[in-house]
Amino acid sequence: MPSWALKLSAVFITLFTLAGSFGYASAHVKNANAPLQPPVADRPAATSAPATATPVATIGPLLTLRPGQKTPTVTPGPKLTLAPGVKSATLAPLTFTHTS
Amino acid sequence: MDPQLFFWIAARATGLASYIALCLSILSGVALRTSVLDFLAKNRQLRSLHDFMTWLWIPLGAAHIVTLVLDKTAQITLRDAFLPFQVGYAPLQIGLGTISLDIFVVVTLTSWLRRRMADRLWRWIHRSSYIAFLTLFLHAFWSGTDFDAPLISAVSWSAALGIGLLAISRMVFGRLPE
Repeated sequence: MPSWALKLSAVFITLFTLAGSFGYASAHVKNANAPLQPPVADRPAATSAPATATPVATIGPLLTLRPGQKTPTVTPGPKLTLAPGVKSATLAPLTFTHTS
Repeated sequence: MDPQLFFWIAARATGLASYIALCLSILSGVALRTSVLDFLAKNRQLRSLHDFMTWLWIPLGAAHIVTLVLDKTAQITLRDAFLPFQVGYAPLQIGLGTISLDIFVVVTLTSWLRRRMADRLWRWIHRSSYIAFLTLFLHAFWSGTDFDAPLISAVSWSAALGIGLLAISRMVFGRLPE
């Protein structure tokens, strides 16, 4: 078999694989059984807030401990970062009235 | 199509395509010494094919890396493409691919500089392609999103087993009898 025929066959096989796998991946965008599941990146909460809702710069205590109650271990939530030009209002701080 | 979705799909497609191109490259290289493809072509044509395959797997491998870097979900940086075991969520699985790339880059560069190198050194560096292929296969097996698809799995396993058998016969028998 001449050299050019070998190369042409190799190009065809590779491009066929490329097109086939592109089509397969397009049809199966998500694979729940995929071995790697990258953690979802944190998204800034402030970007999705409507323009009328004014975020506050600080929040109050998240929960009130009863006497004798141990301090729960909680992971810190996403931090709110105000974009330049966003004004804070004089509203009452956000609080949670329940514990779980 | 959303650009992020395109990057993700392209990364998977170019990963498999570069794997196949590398398989063909290694197969044509092993065939030079084992005469298993003598029915197909003579060594001169196979050598030409072996050299040519570099120009297929390099752009596909580069596209695999670039699309993964651009894909925000994969969380892979350009540094991860060359320094193994740096990715936070799957250092081993992705690091094996990094090692494979590093070795293949060295093998390719030394092949281009072969005339300026000692032949014995060049041969040993070139033989590290087997290690690179092994790490590449493990990278594909442990981190390939589509590896569980029957057709893709069959193609990948067949190519790996074929190269494995040829490599073992090359080591045990040397050049196979015609």
